[in-house]
Amino acid sequence: MTPAFEADALASLDSLYRTALRLTHRPADAEDLVQDTYLKAFRAADQFTPGTNLRAWLFTILHNTARNRARDFARDHVAVDSDAVERAMETNAEPGATPETLLLRDTLAPELQAAIDALPQAFREAVWLRDVEEFSYAEIAGMLQVPVGTVMSRISRGRRLLFDRLHHLRPAHV
Amino acid sequence: MSDCKSIDPLITPYVDGDIDAAARLRVDDHVRRCAPCHSRVTAERAVRELMRVRRAEIAGGAASAALRARCLALRGGTAIGASRWRARVKPLAIAAGLVLAAGGVFIYEATDRSTRVLAAELTADHVKCFGVVNALFGANPDAAVIERAMASTFGWQMHVPQSSDGGLELVGARPCLYAKGMAAHLMYRHHGQPLSVFMLPQPALPRKSGNDTEMVDVLGHEAAVWSQDGRTFVLVAREPEPEMARVVSVVQAALH
Repeated sequence: MTPAFEADALASLDSLYRTALRLTHRPADAEDLVQDTYLKAFRAADQFTPGTNLRAWLFTILHNTARNRARDFARDHVAVDSDAVERAMETNAEPGATPETLLLRDTLAPELQAAIDALPQAFREAVWLRDVEEFSYAEIAGMLQVPVGTVMSRISRGRRLLFDRLHHLRPAHV
Repeated sequence: MSDCKSIDPLITPYVDGDIDAAARLRVDDHVRRCAPCHSRVTAERAVRELMRVRRAEIAGGAASAALRARCLALRGGTAIGASRWRARVKPLAIAAGLVLAAGGVFIYEATDRSTRVLAAELTADHVKCFGVVNALFGANPDAAVIERAMASTFGWQMHVPQSSDGGLELVGARPCLYAKGMAAHLMYRHHGQPLSVFMLPQPALPRKSGNDTEMVDVLGHEAAVWSQDGRTFVLVAREPEPEMARVVSVVQAALH
């Protein structure tokens, strides 16, 4: 493990913490998760392939660690049965709803944050990794250990859920 | 004209601009004619744009200085000294004390750096687990109960330091979640301060033979790592070095 590797890895600390916070909803749990992530990353530094995306590698460790912790501690945020959630979503999808881009632009950050936090975990993490952390579909697929098509499906459904929820917050504008 | 089903998987990459020209033309053509798909594209695009506009606000909240310090301390060779750590980091909610660690599955190489990683990992476990005492053996366990549990759970025949040994008070024990549950975590109080013992079943640090104890300053604690009787032990504590050495010797003697 070189000093450059360590420095590059630690440069992702803030974004790892923010993502951990989205996953756990509790600052103390998020800090534990990030610390475990760095422990594993430094321990497995020789498994990282130089020239590949270190940040994506760290996020993969973060998500794997989160999954393992959820399983180990039997917490309530165990991985969602995304297929079941997506099937359920089919009945609620309303593609014919009239979107209002300007209305959404007026949405305050706390409202958006609350709507994101209210998403089922499978959709929340996909939308977050794409729209906030700006990872590629392939990178997210690697992190979440699902096919690329599933990643795109989760992003799509997550965005539409967000739209529906935020849209309904402002009926007076519709 | 493409149907909605064939267009469906293209909508999100279309919105993200992550689609080839031919597919883009297909979606362009379809959404011009299909109101539901057009609405879907517009809704996804609106949310994506909202996330972009609000990104700095919703992604706010940097890692705390304490977390940053803890992660920095995990780097090999650049550990933060205990005194410096204490000056920078507010006290943990669970007061850290002595951690006596023994046993577990060591997968680490026998290097100074891996010793540090091990010590950090177990110290973090100590801090987390001390609030979950009695998880395995119940309240106010005695050493005999734990020794029987060690035999049944891990197959280890061993002596466990008693409450009367060197000011130690046995308060609980549990399988450590690290090493796939094959490490034992004994928790004591030493003059009122939390103390833990982890036990790992193999002498995975071959250089640390006999009572050759290595002291590691990590995560605001002192950790002592040694191998004894075919197992490896780690002791972590927030104690001055002379007191650490004394307690380590007490535990090493009790483990024989």
